[in-house]
Amino acid sequence: MRVALFWMLAVASIVSGWRVFRTDSMVRAAYWLMASFVAVGIIMVQLDAEFLGLVLILMMAGEMTIMAVFMVMFMMNPAGLNPMMMVHQHRASIVAGVLAFVGLAGVGIFARFPEPTLRASGQVTAQLGHELLGDSMLIFETAGVALLATMIGALAIAGATGRFGSADEGSQEPGEA
Amino acid sequence: MAGARVEVVLGQRPGILKRLAAMAPVRVFAISGSESAEIETLIADLELEQEIVLTDSPRSANVLLAMGEFPGSMQESARRIHDQLCGPRRTLWLRQNVSAPSEAIFPKAIREDTHCDLALLLRKIHRDLLTGVEPSEEPILPDEEPALWRGVGPYGQGGTGMTGGVPYGRPMPETAPDRDGLALDQLSVRVGPFFRPFPSGLTLALKLQGDVIQEAAVAENPFDAKKLNPDFESGDPFIRALSEPVPVVEMEMARARHHLHWLCNALQVHGLGALGLRTRAIARSLSPGMIAPIAQLRKILRYSRSVSLVGAGVGVIQPDKIRDRGLGPVARAAGLREDLRMTDPAYQELGFEPVVHAENDVRSRLWQRLDEAMQSVTLAARSGNATSGGGGRVEGPRGVITLDGNSLPLLLGLLPDLLYGLEWGDAVATVVSLDLDLRDVRSQRVS
Amino acid sequence: MISYGRLLGELATIALVLLAGVYATVVIDLWAGRMVARAPVRAFRALTFPIRQTALFLLQQRATTERPDAPLWALAPALLAAIAAASLLVIPFSSQTSAAGIESGIVYFGALMALVMIAVYLNGWSANSVFPIIGGYRFIAEALSYEMPLALVLIGAALPAQSLSVSAIVISQDSLWNVIRQPLGLPIYLIAGLGVAFWGPLALPDAADLAGGTESELSGVQLLLWRTARIAVLVAVAAMGAAVFLGGWTGPWLPGAVWMTLKTIALIFIMVGAGHLVARVRLERFVLVAWTVLIPLALLDVFAAGAVVLAGSPR
Repeated sequence: MRVALFWMLAVASIVSGWRVFRTDSMVRAAYWLMASFVAVGIIMVQLDAEFLGLVLILMMAGEMTIMAVFMVMFMMNPAGLNPMMMVHQHRASIVAGVLAFVGLAGVGIFARFPEPTLRASGQVTAQLGHELLGDSMLIFETAGVALLATMIGALAIAGATGRFGSADEGSQEPGEA
Repeated sequence: MAGARVEVVLGQRPGILKRLAAMAPVRVFAISGSESAEIETLIADLELEQEIVLTDSPRSANVLLAMGEFPGSMQESARRIHDQLCGPRRTLWLRQNVSAPSEAIFPKAIREDTHCDLALLLRKIHRDLLTGVEPSEEPILPDEEPALWRGVGPYGQGGTGMTGGVPYGRPMPETAPDRDGLALDQLSVRVGPFFRPFPSGLTLALKLQGDVIQEAAVAENPFDAKKLNPDFESGDPFIRALSEPVPVVEMEMARARHHLHWLCNALQVHGLGALGLRTRAIARSLSPGMIAPIAQLRKILRYSRSVSLVGAGVGVIQPDKIRDRGLGPVARAAGLREDLRMTDPAYQELGFEPVVHAENDVRSRLWQRLDEAMQSVTLAARSGNATSGGGGRVEGPRGVITLDGNSLPLLLGLLPDLLYGLEWGDAVATVVSLDLDLRDVRSQRVS
Repeated sequence: MISYGRLLGELATIALVLLAGVYATVVIDLWAGRMVARAPVRAFRALTFPIRQTALFLLQQRATTERPDAPLWALAPALLAAIAAASLLVIPFSSQTSAAGIESGIVYFGALMALVMIAVYLNGWSANSVFPIIGGYRFIAEALSYEMPLALVLIGAALPAQSLSVSAIVISQDSLWNVIRQPLGLPIYLIAGLGVAFWGPLALPDAADLAGGTESELSGVQLLLWRTARIAVLVAVAAMGAAVFLGGWTGPWLPGAVWMTLKTIALIFIMVGAGHLVARVRLERFVLVAWTVLIPLALLDVFAAGAVVLAGSPR
């Protein structure tokens, strides 16, 4: 049962990954990629990397949506519903894609991984926490807090009632001196 | 699909599902053309019925309630709305004079005059429709593509390259720079004339980036075509007061009711349907001096901070654009002490002092009308037999009314500048806060 | 190892619980609305309202728009309903029923709530119509703003339990509920929860000023599914809140499941009541407040919870 589920998810992740390049809309492409990530996330949950798998889904839901919205925003395409070719440089990209897939799959199959030092138990998340917040804690915390502060600052500036009064004040139409 | 096939052999009872559906609240989408105060009261009463729901979008309604006469430019839109109702659907067309000749806007509509028991009639239409006694109406307009596209272009999708042609029948939008200098999509959209939060007949031609308005133009007022002389026979005390003295109590109660009905609409737009209903009920049973329920409503709005949540800093008008123009509550909400009643001896005797709010935004226009309603109810209780009017100029609930016109054209003229750069939600709040009525062209004389 | 037979049984239970919750929420909402409106309530009508309304929607035709993305449009309500149902998997309704083999219950819940954003955006986008897609865009801005506070207060609640499992969090509240231990937690959670279910003050994607927004082109079965799924999300949010902040199944005299139900209904009542009394906030204002007020407050909540745990733990 578990094995069957694994294969189903594996096939689903590859098929939806392939559909990303075959669909003709930016939003559909983004969400095919999302579907692929969800399948990978569930595989990770199955492999007892529960926390990592769930966090993958959590993060990708936001990221794929932001990606879709930004693409729609910048491409001249009403809300991404009109059809468009989603790929260019077909030959090169096909070659690169196949090479990358074969290479990674080869690593997965032929590489000799260290003997499993972790027992499959509920301790995986805790051990992950110790790893992240042990030796590397300073790096992670610094980066995390800096990023968060940047985001909050950006929001405070971009809001219509900005840090220094109304955001409209003093802004110029582009092209005007 | 089920709706299209509703057929009932005589004598056979409809199935349990149909009978249950027939007992469901009637979903009504209401559109109104030129209408009289009579019809306005009908729709206000309709909202107080528990088993009738007025929907925001025509899609999920079963009954289209059309009220009044529709001038030429609104007829096409009215037919479109009709076809957007998903079956089973039926149209009820209320007209003041049902036997008067009219254009066949809704060929299959049930026609009634305004004296009917509307709620009862709607329930009957709904029941007959859902149990299959009456068939669903066919669409009026043909189902056509907006532009020819099939077979055109490399994939037959109607376009060439990325932006050429009309892919799938719709032209690609143009790009335009936004405030930060990025070139982003710009979507051209027309909203109206039956967009529920807007006054009937108001159509805005918009250019949107996301939901930010980059350009707003007000389409021509469809009701402008038939400019009428003031109808002194009408029940409207403010129109009557142009030519003759009218009891102050009558005018002030009318003003209070007007403001409360407006408040109800505003609350519904801001997601407070239940409080809106409460306002409607207060307006219906209002009597002089009945201040407590309004004060209680005010308290709820203050403690929930609702008014500032929806309107703080939104829709601020430059004061010099509204000074000395007779804009009534809108001007007074901007801190301007302007009110014809200040110079009226009848009101001076009552010790009238205008209510004023300073912030000049959607928030202060909400407070302004709520406070004016309370003031009017108090004034009405104290006024006794005092009368006012007859001088050709009256302070109406929407500002000064004269024999030559009212505040409507001025307020409509403010819109394009006011809406520029607003997010859509703020734009709607702003339009609502101005209390426009496009039908209010009665007192605009043809000169 | 997951037992699949048990999982199926649990799924059936969840579907039943969810439907009952949705039914109760609709009636509560109707009743609260009539109370706020000072209008008479007819008990029989209110109690039968969901059935009659369902029958009507089942008989209504489905709306079609000009060239919608039909598969994604059909998928959106199903996705939303699936999210609500799946999130109930990790919410323990009594000390006996536990999660379906998922230890990181809180993270799982957070991941599902992030997917709500996709369901709402797809529902708006695939209709190929103006108001729905504006509703979809609005929700993305809203969702990105409430997600961080939501995740942070849930982490704060997990700290005293020293576990990400929801059952462990309930057990950790044996002596003192998290709502008292972490006073900032529940209010922030409820605000974010209103956002997740896009309800009341945070009903931005399907607001009246968009003529219904993402649901303005829906009718019939599709509308029925969408609204049911949305209320199911609200129920799931309330149930999680009851487990994580109000001590879940713990309580004297009554069985655990009854306590859990009562607490869930209490939270539903608060959220529904807020919907009738507080106006819909402006999007721009909400985004700003979420990032500059709610996130710092939620961080404070986490730091305080962490400090308490460290102070209490033996060195």
